[in-house]
Amino acid sequence: MINFDNAATTFPKPLSVRRAAAEAIKSFGGNAGRGGHELAMRTSEALYSARETAADFFGAAPENTVFTLNCTHALNMAIQGVMSEGGHIIISSMEHNSAARPTVALAMKKQVTLSVAEVFPDSERTLESFRRLIRSDTRAVVCTIASNVTGQLLPYKEIGQLCRENGICFIADGAQACGIYDIKLSDGINILCTAGHKGLYGITGTGLLITDGQYPITPIMQGGTGSNSLSLFQPSILPDSLESGTPNVIGAVTVGAGIGFIGTYGMNRLRAHEERLCRLFIEGLEGTEGITVYRDAAAEYAPIVSFNTEGFTSEAAAELLSERGFCLRAGYHCAALAHATLGTKGGTVRFAPSVFNTEEEVRKLVYNVKTLKNLPNS
Amino acid sequence: MPSYTYAVKAQRLLRARGYPCRIRRREKTSSEGCGFSVLINGSCEGAERLLTGYAVPYSVRGGGADDDKL
Repeated sequence: MINFDNAATTFPKPLSVRRAAAEAIKSFGGNAGRGGHELAMRTSEALYSARETAADFFGAAPENTVFTLNCTHALNMAIQGVMSEGGHIIISSMEHNSAARPTVALAMKKQVTLSVAEVFPDSERTLESFRRLIRSDTRAVVCTIASNVTGQLLPYKEIGQLCRENGICFIADGAQACGIYDIKLSDGINILCTAGHKGLYGITGTGLLITDGQYPITPIMQGGTGSNSLSLFQPSILPDSLESGTPNVIGAVTVGAGIGFIGTYGMNRLRAHEERLCRLFIEGLEGTEGITVYRDAAAEYAPIVSFNTEGFTSEAAAELLSERGFCLRAGYHCAALAHATLGTKGGTVRFAPSVFNTEEEVRKLVYNVKTLKNLPNS
Repeated sequence: MPSYTYAVKAQRLLRARGYPCRIRRREKTSSEGCGFSVLINGSCEGAERLLTGYAVPYSVRGGGADDDKL
């Protein structure tokens, strides 16, 4: 089995992450921040270390680094938390449903007004889309750094600058970019939301919300935090205000280990490897009749490639490839807006390599895509 | 300390600068209930300056020269 569905979640995980998970299960069995005994203290220390590692990685303070269930959870907290008092919000036309659905839900309840900024291959035109939509009551802009469908990179630093000039909170979705690009809050991001289990190589059930603290985030969930237990009100301090309930310590530890792996391997080297695999894949398919690759010369891309094969629906193509041992995600990738922007009515097949894929694996995939019509059951 | 996160942050800052200290769970660090203290043996003065410099929220409780708590 060869996994090219790493944009959904990376697999395999690095050995250091697997070892960290095993060590966490063995040693960090207390409830972090909720007891004074040795086991709880040891567990709390491990959680803090993971928090500190993540904070350093993104240029944030540890207390402003919140562990979440996944990127969707982080985006929901950020969007609902920042927009709790209403106002106007802008999202891009390439957003994942994790950003689109919470904003649409708020708009349907008439709690906010929503605008969608059209994304173009040309970053200048995309930036202009955002600029045109800004109003006096615009409170937040939500934008993905890299599309989960095509990998297209959006001009997030310029959008951040635009937000800063207009006193608008910039919420960035880093799910497909973190771990591959050196993303920092100092890039103009007020709140960075990301997955822990994708480019950061942690286990599933992990995500991060990282804030510069400039825009208060009203919690969408209340509960036990291990602090201020006599109060019936949620603590206002971070990370407690946004981390109700027992934290996923094992998950957090693996995120810390995953970031450590990226540091040891080298982020530039890692990205170069994945980009090389994408180039190999695209070049391998070039000139093949009936193959459409969704890339535009005017745009820049993270190491993700979306394509379609004539005569097959995206799901049918992925199913045939699955029978040959290749794991690729097809369909709409939980990104209704992005597929509407691309005009891909039947969805696409997505190729998303990780650091663990090889050129040989990509060549095998290319051969199988090119010969799809000759595969059994096709 | 308002939370364990701040207690560990304080402990690491203090230890890195030569202040021996340890974290202790308290049933009441304020009127709002349980939390954590960072125990320092000796004067808290330098430690307070350090924590203030790093924007770590704290309050000084009880103590005395041999048992100051942040």
